[in-house]
Amino acid sequence: MGIKVDSQTSPEHSWPLLSPKNSLIALLFVVMAFFFMLDLALGSVKIPLGNVIDIVFGKGSENEAWEKIVTYIRIPKALTAVIAGAALSASGLQMQTLFRNPLAGPSVLGISAGASLGVAMVMLASGAAANAFAIRQLGLGGSWLIVVASTLGAAFVLLIVLGIAVRIKDNIVLLIVGIMVGNITISIISIWQYFSEPEQIQDYLIWTFGSLGGVLGSQLYVLAIVVGIGLMISFAASKSLNVMLLGENYARSLGMSTLYVRITVIAATSLLAGSVTGFCGPIGFIGIAVPHLTRSILNTSDHRFLMPSSCLVGAILMLVCDIIAQMPGSQTTLPINAVTALIGSPVVIWVIMKNRNLKSSFA
Amino acid sequence: MKNEVLLTHDLAIGYQNRRLAKEAEKHGRKYPGKVVADNLSLDLAKGELVCLLGPNGSGKSTLMRTIAGVQKPLGGHVTLDGRSLERLSTKETARLLSLVLTDRVMTGNLSVYALVALGRYPYTGWMGKLSKDDETVVREAIAITGTRRFACRHISDLSDGERQKVMIARALAQDTPVILLDEPTAHLDLPNRIEVVRLLKQLARERGKSIVMSTHELDLALQAADRIWLMSPVQAEESGKNIEMISGMPEELILDGRLEKAFKRNGFEFDRESGSFRINQHHEGCIGLVGEGTLAYWTKRALERIGYKVVIDASLPCRIEVSEDRGNRWWRYYNGKSGEPFEIQDIGSVISCIKKNKTGSEIVA
Repeated sequence: MGIKVDSQTSPEHSWPLLSPKNSLIALLFVVMAFFFMLDLALGSVKIPLGNVIDIVFGKGSENEAWEKIVTYIRIPKALTAVIAGAALSASGLQMQTLFRNPLAGPSVLGISAGASLGVAMVMLASGAAANAFAIRQLGLGGSWLIVVASTLGAAFVLLIVLGIAVRIKDNIVLLIVGIMVGNITISIISIWQYFSEPEQIQDYLIWTFGSLGGVLGSQLYVLAIVVGIGLMISFAASKSLNVMLLGENYARSLGMSTLYVRITVIAATSLLAGSVTGFCGPIGFIGIAVPHLTRSILNTSDHRFLMPSSCLVGAILMLVCDIIAQMPGSQTTLPINAVTALIGSPVVIWVIMKNRNLKSSFA
Repeated sequence: MKNEVLLTHDLAIGYQNRRLAKEAEKHGRKYPGKVVADNLSLDLAKGELVCLLGPNGSGKSTLMRTIAGVQKPLGGHVTLDGRSLERLSTKETARLLSLVLTDRVMTGNLSVYALVALGRYPYTGWMGKLSKDDETVVREAIAITGTRRFACRHISDLSDGERQKVMIARALAQDTPVILLDEPTAHLDLPNRIEVVRLLKQLARERGKSIVMSTHELDLALQAADRIWLMSPVQAEESGKNIEMISGMPEELILDGRLEKAFKRNGFEFDRESGSFRINQHHEGCIGLVGEGTLAYWTKRALERIGYKVVIDASLPCRIEVSEDRGNRWWRYYNGKSGEPFEIQDIGSVISCIKKNKTGSEIVA
């Protein structure tokens, strides 16, 4: 009985590709660039796309008001949308793989709630309400403080959830625990709210609606740096996350340190979800929906490709949500959190319907 | 001996337990925990296929986990490729020992090819990019295991048998001298079981892999294994050892009666001649059988199934003579009462005739 080795006889190209082509990622990048420009052009004041492109590339515009609007309001807002979308998607992707649960995501497992608690504590200590305006008043030092507080808050909740995850291997139990921990966090915040001034409560409520417009100037740099670090950690964890798909036992037998991966993922998701929540408020659904959407677009589970593409898809979706939130042509804007839920929930339902079974879509 | 890839020296397996550890200190007991089995000195040579047998709960998985380094031994040590397992890092162990577990991998969007490629994890760089050599190893692993046909398919679309072969391919891609498999034939139908075992034998023979597989299937193990490790429960004395490890060549174990003894202790009757368990118990009586060949063998099987003890004896008053002549089959049934035999031409009628007559000689011990 001989071993049949047909790899020599069969043509090379008949082997499947390990990962999708890079051109797909390039295409996603082009789509993102398009929506970025569209986001700059649309709003309460409609600016022609040609002029927007001129302003972005430094050629300026004859209309000074347009130039000011684009440079000082719309570009920071669009950049924030891109950063927030990428950060939330990357953290959602990692958490879904780590917990082997399709419903894991920053908003579900209480990470956003933890970040909110961090923000609330800073505001409580400094005697101001937790809102974007208060953050702005604190200046650069304050924005670092916000990032540190929200990241620590997020890490705190994630550590509790993960600590329980070590003892209880059941994903559903873990999910419920995550939701409960999130609830506890929220209730602490509401107790604090109860003893606060009505104006502060209103400010806090506005913060919970989410806003991409509040991140300006130096804060944008802080956000970009923190998210950049978080994304770098996430990309570095891609190889290990791939092995995690086989389950922890196989991962360990392949020489992977599960502790190392857990710490990496906690650090990355806390930085990503924590900082974005600190600055933009708790933005829901992007973290859950985008990884599913990306998996079904790319038809792969290779994190080396899923990670960058999820970031791009997340950025695109966030830009689209922002465009809708501005209600082009009108003077009103919708809270971004409501729009992401409006768009995100149908996406999740669509993915479930398409795959029949959310479980088979990844873990 | 030469080329042993895996050795265990005085190994004690079990679970560490703080309470029991304290007690052990007080009472001067040897191990700090619940001992499943101890004094295990086993060896595994290059190119050897070992089947690990034992009833549920006898500690097969505990032994596998301990050998794989997932669980700490309570005492003694495991030597892998001449080096102590405790001194090896997880990365180094991953290059010496691969696992096929019962865990179901149900990840969607994960193609067979990508899954097998994950076996190269211990060899690739920080981004996990496969080199040309890595890819060759992966493709060879797929080709050898006969999974080439569905290399493009997703793992969630495979049947149990196909998935098991893919998991073996993944272990093969890990390129380790030792492969441990935890019940690789569970949930598989007979053709798939045979295929998997045949594949493992082939890997041991032709690739020099040392393979340990745990299984519940005695007949398969007796046919395929170079050696058997049998974990057999014994009456527990105190809280100490309650598992006895029997190891040896299958034929050796059968001939010197150790296998029989191990099963008898647990209330099973083991037939030394056929190497299988006796399911049928004799209560109808004794019947003689005259004849030879396949026809006689299957007649014997049919008689045993309906509860007769069959002896090769032409002198018994109650007997059956079988003969085959140019495609014609004859059964002559003497029921022990009338002298004339019934002449019957098909086995179904033979059995119903015997059932109707309900005769048989007394069973002589």
